[in-house]
Parts: sequence; structure tokens; C-alpha cells
Amino acid sequence: MPEIFINGQPYEADPDQTVLQVALANGIYVPYFCWHPQLSVAGNCRICMIEEEGRGVDIGCNMPVKAGMRVLTESEEVRSHRKAILQFITLNHPVDCGICDKAGECVLQDYHYEYNGSPSMSGDPKVRSTKFYDLSDRIVLDNERCILCSRCVRFTHEISKSHGLGIEQRADVSLVRPSTDGSFRDDPYSDNVVDICPVGALLSRSFFYKARVWYLTKTPSVCPGCERGCRIDIWHRKPEWQVQSLDTGENTAIARITPHENSEVNGPWICNKGRDLARIFERRRADGAMLKGKPASVAEAATEARRLIKAAARPVALVSSWGSNEELEAFRASLGSMFTALVKPDHLPAAGEVLEDDLLIRPDKNPNTGKARELFGTAPAVIPADADLVLVWGEGCDFSKIPAGARIILLGSWLAPENGHADVFIPVSIQTERSGHYTNCQGVVSGFEACFPRAPGVADAEALFAQLAGAAP
Amino acid sequence: MSRKPYQRRVYWNESTMSWWERFYLLEILRGLSITGGVFLRNMGRWITGRKGALTTYYPEQTRSDYAAHNRGKHILTQRPDGRPQCIACNMCATVCPAQCIEIEAAFDPDDPAHPKHPSRFEIDYSRCVFCGFCVEACPEDAIRMVKEVPDLPSGDRDDMWFRRDDLLGWMPRSDVAKSYPPKPDATGGGRP
Repeated sequence: MPEIFINGQPYEADPDQTVLQVALANGIYVPYFCWHPQLSVAGNCRICMIEEEGRGVDIGCNMPVKAGMRVLTESEEVRSHRKAILQFITLNHPVDCGICDKAGECVLQDYHYEYNGSPSMSGDPKVRSTKFYDLSDRIVLDNERCILCSRCVRFTHEISKSHGLGIEQRADVSLVRPSTDGSFRDDPYSDNVVDICPVGALLSRSFFYKARVWYLTKTPSVCPGCERGCRIDIWHRKPEWQVQSLDTGENTAIARITPHENSEVNGPWICNKGRDLARIFERRRADGAMLKGKPASVAEAATEARRLIKAAARPVALVSSWGSNEELEAFRASLGSMFTALVKPDHLPAAGEVLEDDLLIRPDKNPNTGKARELFGTAPAVIPADADLVLVWGEGCDFSKIPAGARIILLGSWLAPENGHADVFIPVSIQTERSGHYTNCQGVVSGFEACFPRAPGVADAEALFAQLAGAAP
Repeated sequence: MSRKPYQRRVYWNESTMSWWERFYLLEILRGLSITGGVFLRNMGRWITGRKGALTTYYPEQTRSDYAAHNRGKHILTQRPDGRPQCIACNMCATVCPAQCIEIEAAFDPDDPAHPKHPSRFEIDYSRCVFCGFCVEACPEDAIRMVKEVPDLPSGDRDDMWFRRDDLLGWMPRSDVAKSYPPKPDATGGGRP
């Protein structure tokens, strides 16, 4: 293990590391735009300047470690280089932070205040370029803001392998452009380029002008889109920035979803389906319990359900593969002995959805099938013809397959025509309203936390199971 | 070990009231006679149709001599075509200590010089403290405060939200200095 000296302090380094990696790993911050821990070294932004004593200044991201080397990250020479490079990078940058969605989490903004701080020295007019170029129906590109770090291009070449982006022309008229075969439009990981863009050049259509980022806070969660169970951050309005006069639905709405970086499951990436979870969670909710379609209170519905369960001779339960580990265990503890429990896939792959790939996406589109099968067995979700009571927990049950005479208890979250057909319907909370854990296909357990308060008139499934078993009043 | 006996520190002087003042009741009556006299004098003037107190009967009456730099009601300045100069950057809403400004942004792809604009811009005058930070924070001279303060009070808090079009139109101003450059070449980059 070679030892190197950064700012006079000795640090252990790996022989195949670069000086930038050693510095960052030891808490010495060196600014960088084009370098990304998961991508190849491009070395084009030149901001990560490091001075090697006796040899002069060079970029840290491409400076291999040599035993005994002595480098400085904050010398006068490094500072003046950084300042000059920031002047160069912002030469044609429009500085339209007021209307840029990246403002507030923009590395260029931070570095300007940290390392430059002076206005542009150039007197020439800025080169104007395309604004709001549609890279796909999900991503907008602002070529004026682009600093040509090529992170997005390298992402499509090295991570998603769609080869969907490239840089056209050269010098100050260079443009990031999608390939003509439309492979970027079909790239299921395309939205990651919005996260890795260090400036506001690549912006997500779904978050476009929706909120300033400092109004938002993030809650760690788990993507339920497939059995990979990627860790995500759900961004929503901070309590102190709740709106009163505008659409108050914004206060409990998902503003955007970003990956929650981790080494166990998904690294810094998620697929586009994970970005669109609002489409799943923000469908119209079922807001009240029903008895054969007639509104009732949750307590009345639970009493009726308990009566049906007691009276049933051959009750069958279709267990949700979207239930958290805690809910599944609560179901087994309270109701497991009363029911023949079968694990049901709540969601089947949608038409045109990517079924499986070698990066993240898995064929089972439910987050917790593994844990549910571990607890309730792997029998297929086929309801036996002699069942006289069917408890359906979650979505994805074909009601035409339920035997004609059987009574139905349905625990659902969203509005669906089946809700009114069930003998007892009880609305239950969704993932963004409760905390829990999912066990993914690799056996890794990831936790999610509640983002929003539980909707009124909605029960918590974990507590409801004990109630249905008759333990609580 | 011996301890120093505790002595309460005295921070204030002793009162120097006379016996007459300490008798209290007579001083109370003297005070009441002063305020009562003023009340009766003003009431007498009011009954006979003259103005008594110096106070203004707001909102029926408003002062005509507000200082030019008085921080009164807000206006949103207009672009030459009458649309708001505001770019919905939320600087005013962010700096507002009363958090009484709410802005909903909208995108106009056909207007490259002004792609982001407020579709809603609302100020809650029941919470506004008239500090003027919003005016200072605005990078576009889009929000100003003028000295006049008409039509602020209401019997209902919900009526004290002033909407975008009220703010734009109650005292129209459009002397903005910003130039609106032509649309860039649609094919991509290029020098101007």
C-alpha cells in the first residue's frame, strides 16, 4: 500500500486509485464536474487541479498514486487555476439561475461562490444556443447551461449501454444530442443523466418548474416497481413550506424521486419506472370502508369482516406481495392460522415494460414476493373452488376467478370497480404513508419511511390484521 | 468552611413617591380625569361635526401624505405586452419572513426570453409584515411596494389573499429596463 502526502498529511492509498479518489475518501474535498465515481475518467472540466510538489499542477482525477508523492489541494497555484477555470466554464453559461430547476443543488453555483466569487472578466457577448431541446419526452436539454462535462454521454455508453447521447460539433458550439436511432428515448435508465448533470442543462420534464429544490425535503424509501427494491429518496414539500393558497394537494404530493445512493442494491442509479412512482401512488384513493358498496365506518367493516371470518369454513387469503415485512409477519401472526394463505402478484408487467436487464430491472414487478413466499409458501395464487370466504389484500386479483358463492373481504388502497363488489371493503394505507421494510431478490432488507400523514378514513394494515383476528375491539 | 451570608442584590432604586401618590386611589382618579376629559372633549367635537382625535378612521380615511418611501401595498410590474415581469424564481417567497408569498410557476416554450412566469402569484396580507425584503430580493424589479395601502382590511382572512391579476392591475407599472433578445436559431448553437 503506497503512502502519499496530501497537504503534508500521510494517507494510505490503493495502487490503482487516483489522487482525487484518495483525497475524497479521506474527507479532503477537491472540486470536480466531469469525474464521477461510477464513470470513466474524461478529464475535460479541469477543475480538480492538484499540485504535485516539484512537478506542477495537473488534474487530480487522472493523477495515479505513486508511493511517497506529495500533493497540495489548496495551494495558491491551485486556487488561481481553479478560479481561471471557473471563469472559462462560465464564459458562455447564461447564469439564469432564477429560472433554473437545478439552482440550490447546482455544483457550478456552489463552486462559483466557493472558488471564484468574481463576475465574468469577459466583455464579449455570450454564445447563445438552443434552450429547451427535447432529448426525449422525459428530458429537456438547455445547451446554454451545458458545460460539456460529458457525464451524460459516458453514462449512456458505460452504464445504460444505450449509446443514446453524443456530442456534436466542437469548441463553443458543441452540442449534446441524442442518437438518430432513438435509443436514448427508449433507454429505461435515461433519467439518471438528470441527476449526474452537474449543472441545470438536463432537466426532468416531470419536475420542470414544479418547485424550487429548497422547498423540498427527501425521505428514504424503497422502489416497489420490481423485486430489485432499489433504494430511493422521495422528495416532497418541507413542513415549513406547505402552501396554503395554491393547490394544497402539493403538500402531500411526490415532487420527484431520486436514487438513494448505496452500495448494496442499486448504487447511484434507478430506472425510469422508479421515477414515475407518483403514477402508481397518486391514483385516486379509496377513502372509505364499504359493506357491499354501501359506505360504512372502518370499525363497522372490521366487525363485519370478523363475523365473516368466524363463520367461514374454508377461508382463503390472497396475500399482497406489496406488503412490508412487518405487515406480512403481522398477517401470519394474527390470521395465518385461520386462512389458507396464497401469495398473489399485485402487479404484472405492463405492456411494453422492460421485463429484465443485466443492470437493475427484474421480471417480478412486486417488491416483496420473496419475503411473502418465505412466510406463506410458493403455491400459485389459484383460489380453490370450494373456498367460501376470500380475503384479498392488495391489487391484482381477478374477481371472476373467485368461486361464485364465496364471500369477499377486500383490503385495497385505490379506487377500483371491485371495491363495491366485495362484501367488506376496508381502505388501507400506501407505502408513502407508513414505514416498513422490503426484502429484495438478493435478500437485502431495505427500509422505507412515511412521507405523508395517513389519509383520513384509511386503516393501517398491520394493526387491522390483529383487529380482524378478534384480538382488539 | 464558612460561607458568606446570602445577600440579595439590589438592581433598582427605591421609589420616591410622596404620601399623596402612595395613597393610590386619588392618583387613579386624577389619571381617569385626564383621559376622561380628552374623551369627552373629542366626543363633544365629534357630536358637533368637527374632527376630534388625531387618529385616522382607517380604512374609510387614508392619509394623503405618506412618505414617498413608505412600504405600502405590493405591485407586480408589467412587461411591455402587459404580462408580468416576474420570472417565478421564488426569491421573494423564500426571503419573506412571514412566508406569505406563494407562487406557481408555468412554462411558456414560445417565449424564450421569458420561459418561466407565474401562473399564480399570491400574497397573504393577513400575514405580510411590510418589511420590503421581497422587493430587495427580486432580481427582475418585478415586485415593488408603493406608498399607498388601499383595500387591505377584511372581515375574512381568506379575502386577504391578493392574486396575481390584482397585484398586476391595481396600479399598473411597466417601466422595466430588461431587453428582450430575439429567439435563438432553432437548429442549435451559433454566435449571435
